[in-house]
Amino acid sequence: MATSTLVVVPGDEIAQDALPTPTGKKKTLTLGPGLRHIPPNTITTTIAGALATDNRKNAAWIDANSGRYLPTVGDLVIATVQSSAADNFNCAITPNTPYATLPHLAFEGASRKTRPVLLPNSLVYARVVNAGKESSPELTCVDPSTGNSEGLGPLKGGTIFKVSLGMARRLLLRSKGEVTVLDHIGTKVGFEITVGRNGLVHVDGGDVKTVLAVGKAIQETDEQALGEKGQKKLAERILKSL
Amino acid sequence: MAPEATLSHLHRADGSATYSHNGYCIIGAVNGPVEVMRRDELPEEATIEVNVRPAAGVGSPKERHLEMLLHNTLRGIILTRSIPRTLVQITLQVRSLPEEETSCGVSPSLIILPHLLHTALLALLSASIPLSTILTSTLIAIPANSSPLTSPTAPDLLRAKPIRSAHVFAFSADGKMLLNESDGTFNFEEWDEAAETAEQVCCRDEGGVGLGEGMEVDGQEGGNLDVWLREVVNKKVQWETRWKSAK
Repeated sequence: MATSTLVVVPGDEIAQDALPTPTGKKKTLTLGPGLRHIPPNTITTTIAGALATDNRKNAAWIDANSGRYLPTVGDLVIATVQSSAADNFNCAITPNTPYATLPHLAFEGASRKTRPVLLPNSLVYARVVNAGKESSPELTCVDPSTGNSEGLGPLKGGTIFKVSLGMARRLLLRSKGEVTVLDHIGTKVGFEITVGRNGLVHVDGGDVKTVLAVGKAIQETDEQALGEKGQKKLAERILKSL
Repeated sequence: MAPEATLSHLHRADGSATYSHNGYCIIGAVNGPVEVMRRDELPEEATIEVNVRPAAGVGSPKERHLEMLLHNTLRGIILTRSIPRTLVQITLQVRSLPEEETSCGVSPSLIILPHLLHTALLALLSASIPLSTILTSTLIAIPANSSPLTSPTAPDLLRAKPIRSAHVFAFSADGKMLLNESDGTFNFEEWDEAAETAEQVCCRDEGGVGLGEGMEVDGQEGGNLDVWLREVVNKKVQWETRWKSAK
């Protein structure tokens, strides 16, 4: 990560020296969200934000925490089942966008005869496998190489909380995301969270009180951008109320 | 006076901005990319919908005219081909107008146009809609018996009455003219001069990137619009990454 952030607006050309210098084996440059390549070798921005680079992966992208979630291949999302068609479920990733398809057979242990039954409005934790702009996004709940679910699948119990896209990204970064409030709460009470890149967090715990407290804690950390001390204080306050 | 802007303050819209300048205050909201109605769907492009709502009453042909101008200008800067078969909905609600708006001698739809363009752009930036470039816009008024006014306030225009002609220009970041609306009587030399002044106000000087230089270009206005826009974006990024420095 660069120490000084370069703030860009759409249409800015990224200078050659601002791009990552490859240190790993990978020599081709990977462009993430917010950047586009104009042949032969111009790289311009399409959104406003801070330029982020990773030298090891030879990747560059624009960090921004606003806007609607756009499905990207490989992202883990929490989708809501809307209806069931002949051989797939129609799922909503974000409101008011075309439904994503989740094949009936894309679950662990599913076969032609034993299909999973998911009622409308049930939640699934899935991975985006196809997010081309030419078709509607496609989801899966299994790892195609092993056939295991690896944590993906229907989410039972608990409830979901909305957070900003940046917060969802931070939660998925684990320790690098600096969300310590959950560790503090986790020392006293048990709960389980599932984070979707589309800005949804699913919390499940022993009782309703814990679930709500944990969800509120994540949302508060997000909205007030609490630092380490702030998060510790928040966790103490919440544990006292439980 | 540089315009004031607040970004991403409406939590239910994908992107939003409130902009106030010279007595005008406009709230902009952007939703997108969302599902488009079948009859508006374009197979290879995003559909753009612009709604302008007046400060009082319901929309009239004047608003429809402004919507058309905004639509045509914004379609040029939104990368519609990267989000095909979707809808980008831009809603602009005028919140307040200066008192002298109707009596200042310039067509009201012309004075409000740069403000609407700026609000729409800020809301698009806030919604992270892919754009090919940014735009900045300004009004140049040429009074009958004094020197041209750059981005004048309504009281300024009232004092300088009668106004012979008024011009609105919008430029992209690389200095390409995106929009020109002119009203009144003028000759080509006057228009050319107005266009040049507007470009100096809107675009950053080639080579010069210092804030101070931007100020000099437009002494009486205090600030170059390109520099101002970057400052707004800077604040947005600082706000979004404030957790990194929080205690």
